Amino acid sequence: MIVSPEAEAPLNIPSFRDPAGFVFRQEDRILRVVNPAWVPGLEAFLQTRTAREGTRSGRLVRSTRSLRSDAGELGAHADYIIEHERIPFPAYPYEWPPEMLHAAAALTLDFARQALEEGFGLKDATPYNVLFRGSQPVFVDVLSFERRDPADGIWMAYGQFVRTFLLPLMASRYFGFPLSGVLGSPRDGLEPETLYRWAGWRRRLMPRFLSLVSLPKWIALCERAGASRYHRKPADSPEEARFVVEGILKSCQRHLAALEPREINSSAGTGNASTWSGYLDGKSIYTPGQLVQKEVFVAEALALAKPRTVLDVGANEGHFSFLAARQGCSVVAIDSDPVVTGSIWRRAARERYDVLPLVVDLTRPTPAIGWRNLECASFLDRARGGFDLVMMLAVIHHMLVTERVPLEDLLALAAELTREYLLIEFVAPEDPMFQRIVRGREELYAHLTHSRFEAAAAQRFELVRTMQIDGLHRWLYLFRRRRAAG
Amino acid sequence: MIKNTNGKSAFLILTKVLLLWLPLVLASPSKAFGYIDPGAGTFVYQTAYAMLLGGTFYLRRMLDRVWRKRK
Repeated sequence: MIVSPEAEAPLNIPSFRDPAGFVFRQEDRILRVVNPAWVPGLEAFLQTRTAREGTRSGRLVRSTRSLRSDAGELGAHADYIIEHERIPFPAYPYEWPPEMLHAAAALTLDFARQALEEGFGLKDATPYNVLFRGSQPVFVDVLSFERRDPADGIWMAYGQFVRTFLLPLMASRYFGFPLSGVLGSPRDGLEPETLYRWAGWRRRLMPRFLSLVSLPKWIALCERAGASRYHRKPADSPEEARFVVEGILKSCQRHLAALEPREINSSAGTGNASTWSGYLDGKSIYTPGQLVQKEVFVAEALALAKPRTVLDVGANEGHFSFLAARQGCSVVAIDSDPVVTGSIWRRAARERYDVLPLVVDLTRPTPAIGWRNLECASFLDRARGGFDLVMMLAVIHHMLVTERVPLEDLLALAAELTREYLLIEFVAPEDPMFQRIVRGREELYAHLTHSRFEAAAAQRFELVRTMQIDGLHRWLYLFRRRRAAG
Repeated sequence: MIKNTNGKSAFLILTKVLLLWLPLVLASPSKAFGYIDPGAGTFVYQTAYAMLLGGTFYLRRMLDRVWRKRK
């Protein structure tokens, strides 16, 4: 298919690879220009059972035809524009725990198999086609579906599915690599050669490594074929082609099932337990009574503030994120530990909580990446001013001591993130957990008292309510952002 | 020798699979529509796996015919 130059995405649009069209944002609306040659295919797909049931169940993004006059300058010359529902907080695969990548892969394969039954196929298979609405994955790239050549017995997106889903899951499971390292900078995932280098001889011969890593690596060494190798090969009959593609998809599903991240048992410290797993179950300094006191304060603060959207910074296993979700809030829960973030996702998905867990360290937040740094916005650009309430419970001492973030700057960032309220826990230098991380640097924090903290906060926030937790050098605060603060 | 409904031997059908279908898979170029990188070794691995599945497809069809005839 020839693409005319004017049909390509204009400069500075973060979506430009797909010749079928591009997505752009018009104020709060998400619009997609579809190039004329792809319109009949898209319209036909949107009429399929796969698309209708997917949209109804929320697994496929809602799409409606939009008028050119509504689409601003970018849509002015487009013949066909669709508007998508807006997913509340877009997050990228390198911010997901492995559990979410696994769920996104399962959704992709489900759609590939369902669409196959109706004569459609997925032309690409990347986790960037999936966003999460709370804990639920949503397939957002409707232009990935194309009418299949019935005689085509190859799934062209297989290689991409392996590189961006299966191999990163293997890297996480067998080598403990976080997805931020394998899906951030390399846009198109991991090559089999990379995992081959990491694996020893015995592992290279394990069945899963053999088919996804070692054989492709050895074949590539011998491969001298020209470009015709990569062109579509017609099978003898449509039935045969479909049987073959179904077999390929089933094989991907078998690999995926075997790579499902292991569930941790926090209390027993088994599975993939990390330092922060099961923190509130025995590693924290709270007695049950003190924890109840904190829960009551948080619940009352939430009832008072009535936020719709909450950012929980340093969420650990999401104890307070779930408390907020139970009160009807839509929560983004961030923590730097992929293991605890994964456990939040499991619970949120199982119990249908509106909680989106992300592996983000607020002291080193995800930068903007991709072409011209425009393809994927930084975490702060997405989060700034995006929440009615920001929770920072038992976390700021880590930011102050471990990361040496100045207190005033920490509060300035909190004021940028919240539209209204800040629910924060101040941990004084006398606190045993503070002393555990300060390790001989007490002098640096001698001036840090709760009075000084209150004075620093007063520059940007007004105090709504506060409470000291009984028997601890910890204070809880509900602040309201001053109007002029920024 | 097993005979199918058309009277051809199983051996002949398998030969057809190997001689006609495999070269088709390996050597007939047509238009390339994809815009993503299909990979190198992974793509060839998939092609080989597809060949195996294609062979399975014909084998199953042949066995089905034999089974139906015996019934």
